[in-house]
Parts: sequence; structure tokens; C-alpha cells
Amino acid sequence: MENQIVEVINVTREVAWLPWAVQYFFLIGLSVGGVLLSLPGYAFARDEWRKLGRVALLVALTCGLAAPVALLSDLHQPGRFWHFYVVFRPTSWMWWGSIFIPFYVTGLLVYAWACFREELQEQGRVDSRLAALYRLAALGGGRNDGLIRATGLVVLAGAALVALYTGVEVAVVRARPLWHTPFLPVQFLMTALAGTTGLVLLLNRFAAGNDRTVEVQANRLLAGALGAVMVVGGVWLAAGLFGIERTHAEALDSVANSEAWRVTAIWAVAATVLPFVIAVAKPAGTGLLTGLIAVHSAWMFRWTVFIGGQTVPKTGAGFYEYALPAGPEGLLGIVGTAGLWLFLLLVITAFLPTPPQSAPRPVRAAPAADRAVAAE
Amino acid sequence: MDRSRRNFCLGAGAAGIGAATLATMPAEAAQARQGGDAARRWAMVVDVRKCVGCQACTVACIMENDVPENSFRTIVSTYEVTEQGKTGTYMLPRLCNHCEDAPCIPVCPTGATHQRQDGIVVVDNTVCVGCAYCVQACPYDARFINHDTQTADKCTFCVHRIDAGLLPACVETCVGGARVFGDLNDPNSAVSKLNRETDPKVLKPEQGTQPRVFYIGLDPKFQGKVDGTPTLWRPAREKEHV
Ligand code: SF4
Ligand code: SF4
Repeated sequence: MENQIVEVINVTREVAWLPWAVQYFFLIGLSVGGVLLSLPGYAFARDEWRKLGRVALLVALTCGLAAPVALLSDLHQPGRFWHFYVVFRPTSWMWWGSIFIPFYVTGLLVYAWACFREELQEQGRVDSRLAALYRLAALGGGRNDGLIRATGLVVLAGAALVALYTGVEVAVVRARPLWHTPFLPVQFLMTALAGTTGLVLLLNRFAAGNDRTVEVQANRLLAGALGAVMVVGGVWLAAGLFGIERTHAEALDSVANSEAWRVTAIWAVAATVLPFVIAVAKPAGTGLLTGLIAVHSAWMFRWTVFIGGQTVPKTGAGFYEYALPAGPEGLLGIVGTAGLWLFLLLVITAFLPTPPQSAPRPVRAAPAADRAVAAE
Repeated sequence: MDRSRRNFCLGAGAAGIGAATLATMPAEAAQARQGGDAARRWAMVVDVRKCVGCQACTVACIMENDVPENSFRTIVSTYEVTEQGKTGTYMLPRLCNHCEDAPCIPVCPTGATHQRQDGIVVVDNTVCVGCAYCVQACPYDARFINHDTQTADKCTFCVHRIDAGLLPACVETCVGGARVFGDLNDPNSAVSKLNRETDPKVLKPEQGTQPRVFYIGLDPKFQGKVDGTPTLWRPAREKEHV
């Protein structure tokens, strides 16, 4: 006999973590990924990773500077952000985040400065009106691998803490089965790495000299990251499908009957498998395509987790309706953050244009000498 | 006037004995609690069999607490249930459960959300930054962001009324006498008696939150996330759910 429940009256709870939060988690994830990808070339001075590392550093810097703005905007009382800093709330992962973020961003700025110091010094030698400014910014020095490595290790620690807190902060929310999984922090990190690599591919094309070797290298990395994304996603799905663990089964259950969620799932799989196949089969000449898909897929993952996750009622039937508002609570927030990121990219790349890549750089000897000094 | 609903006022003085079935709070949690009367543990028992679904409580709460449009601190979720060819209506008044082990508290990065010694979970909206972490952490969708104050908001058991010796507005107004409020620490209070005598249930017990809002006549189908069909609430919903 058919039993049926129709919900006649209930409340619709609106999304409380806004698209700003999606932007924050996206940008900070990409920034962390950028730091990781820049380390081999800079902190460990591996020449074959240097060019890719430079593009990754641009990703880390631009995303890392835009992210806190998005985070602040997600507070409904942004002017009270200092309230985080006058209490001790170790039980709250968000409180820890308020400590980790400034540490990470400061570390990132110092590390990026150490990495770019060589370029600043070179720019200071060019006969231009800004030369003095560059010399000032270089603080009278050039490439110093010891400094780069030291600051690199500090920012690596910051990046690890940020990756940890951003993942765990969401994963501890037991009230949302979709979030409450130990896989989530890993998924955030892996999709962030894929997104970073995607953005490296895009910036390599548009803002950093379109280098073929960087493209191939990045596409290989992308394939690796996407492979990891698929493995972790598969394990999560299996845990839910076969009822290995209750929360996972509940999570899957809460969305399994929704057409919209099924479409999202197919979309997510396609946006992972497609760039993976392309990146493996043809790593050269496809960077624009794989990069675009990878960036989009990293963003979609966060959109689905945060906005999609919040449309699942905790007690009510079915799903809450979500329509993207046009104002600062919605579209404007997304566009605004993207605009800020673009602005930062333009400023940074204008101040530090990609060094000419053909033939050894004319002033190469000088930093090499510095390096010798530093090594002593 | 229903004396049982007034019971908590009359029972003043008799305190200190916890209801046998209820776990006592851990010592460190007790220390962290601020304000309120430590001798009391306020609670509510909702007898869903008596609820007529009139939403008088919903309205009373809005008026009493100046709850903004489109937001609710309490609401009577109403369901049309068809079983074996028969159709009936099921009412479930929802509010903050003032959980003994409330997951909304530890996540709060500013300490704005805290629990009083009498068990009432409150938000200091002069401290709250509106990060909405607590909104995510509550398993009952009891919290929301109040767009007038831009801070977290939820049922307070009408704490301002309690402190003045009055009943919560919803209890005061309940037509069917479905909402009973009182002190669990007082063995003679109506809530304590109902707790002993009727073995009421709580929502989502598996979450381990130990709610202090109890339900008599709670159908297990409504204890967690309701598996049903939502109907029109906002007009925008029309296109969904074929
Ligand atoms: S019902 Fe929700 S808001 Fe109320 S105390 Fe429990 S967890 Fe906190
Ligand atoms: S919204 Fe306010 S009360 Fe809730 S967790 Fe954030 S600061 Fe605390």
C-alpha cells in the first residue's frame, strides 16, 4: 500500500555561507596549490621546474591575496572581524583559520618577494624611471637560494595549515552528511591542485609567454591530480554505495533521488575524465582546453559542496530552492572577486613582466654571482 | 489557565535534583556556562497529539522577538500523511532544542554562541560576526542569519521572559496546550513528570546532541530528515519536484 508524506508547511532556510565562501575556498585552495607547485623550482632550485614554478607563484600570489577579501565579505558583520582576535576559541576550526590565514599570507608575500628578488634586481638595472623603485624593492640584493628555501619552508607550513583547516572546518560539520567525511579535506586539496595546474596552463598561455615545456609539464601534473581526484571520489562513492559507513550512505541517500544532483554528478565526472584523457593523450597544444576545464571543475566542486550542500534541508523534505541573487550576496560577489583577482594579476605582471625566455637572459651573470656569494 | 504550563513558576525553590533519565553535563562544560540560574535546567515538552497546527506559536514568537520577515525561530511543520489509503495531517512544532551537548557552541569562533547555566543556548549579537558556522553546525536547521542584525539568530526560550518569571511566548499562546515548559531540575515540574511518565522522544537522537525539547507522540518518520515531497513554499519552487 502506498504511504506518502507531503510537506505542506515548513521553513526554507536560506544559504548562510554565500558564494563569497565558494570564492574563498576556491582561491585559497588554488593559492596553496600554487605554493606547492612553485617549491621545486624555487625553494629546491630545480631548474627544469623554474618556469612552471614562476607561473605557479603568480597563481599563489594573486589567489592568495584575493582570497581573504572574499572570506571577509562572507561574514555578515565584516567590520567585526577583529572579534576573532580577542578570544581564545581552540574548539573552532574557523578560529584557527583566523590565525593561519595571516600567517600564510604574510609567509607567501615574503616567499614571493624572495623568489622575485632576482627579477626585481634585474629590473633595477634597466634604464627606466622605475629602476629606483625596483632597486628599493630588491633591498639591494638578488637571488638568494638559502633565503628562498627558508621562506619556502615557512610558507609550506602555512599552506599545510591552511589546507588542513579549510578541509577539516567543513568536514567536522556532522549535521551535513555530505560534508562530514574524512575524504573532504583530501578532495579539497586534490581538486585545488587540479585547479592550480589548470590556472597555470591558462596563465602560461595568456600571461607568461606561452611556453611549450611548461604546458606539457603542467598537463602531466594535471593528469596526476585528476587521477587522484578520481580515486578519492571513487572511494567516497564506494563507501556510500556499499553502505560501508553510515554517514556516507546517508550523504548519498540525501541526494540520490534528485535529478539536479544526478546531472551535477555526471557533469563532475565528465569535467574530470575529459581533461584527464586529453592531458594524457596530447599534453602539448591542449593547455587552453584542459586548463579551462580544470579550473572550472575545481570551482564547480566547491560550488556543489557549499551551495549545493546547503540546499539539502537538515530536517525538512526535499531540497531548498536556491536562485543566485544578482547583488553582493550572489553574482556580484563572484564577479567582484574575479575582478579583484584579475586586477591583482594585471598589477603583478605589469610590475614583474615575464622574463624573456629565448636565449639566456642578458644579466644572468649577476644573479649567478650573487648565488655564489649566498652559497658561501 | 493550564496550571501545568505555569508550573515552572510555581515550582521555584525546589531544585537541584536532575531527572533520572537525563545525563548530567560534563564538569568542564558546566564551567564554561555563563549567566542564568545554575539551579535550573529549562526544557520543553511538546505533546504533538495536542497540536492543532494553528501556528499561533509561530506568530507569537515573531511578535515577541521581532523576527524578520521570511525567518522563523519556531514553526509548526505540517505534513499531509497518506497511509493505507487514509490521509491525515501531522504537526510538528520545531524550535531550538537547547541541546545539552550543542554542536553550535564549539564551532563558534568568537564565543558569541554560548550556553547559560540554566541550559539555554543564546547568541550575543553584539559579539557575533555573522560567520554562520553555527548555522551549519546545528543539525536541526534551528538557526538562521537575521538580516536586520546580520548576526546568528534562533529561539532563546524567550530568555528575557524567563528571567522575568514569565513563560515563553509560544507556550503562553498555545491553544492546544501542546507546549509545556519548565525546570528539569525540579522533580515536581510538569516537564519532569512528563519525562518520567511518558518517555518522550527527541529529534535526531543519533546526533548525540541531547536535546532538551522533548516530544510526546513523535512518529519515527519525522524524527530525522523527513522523507517526503515538499510543496510550494516560495513561488520559485514551482518548477521543482515533478
Ligand atoms: S537545536 Fe541547534 S541551535 Fe539549538 S542548541 Fe541544538 S544545535 Fe544549537
Ligand atoms: S554566526 Fe555568530 S554565533 Fe554563529 S558561529 Fe559565527 S560568530 Fe558564532
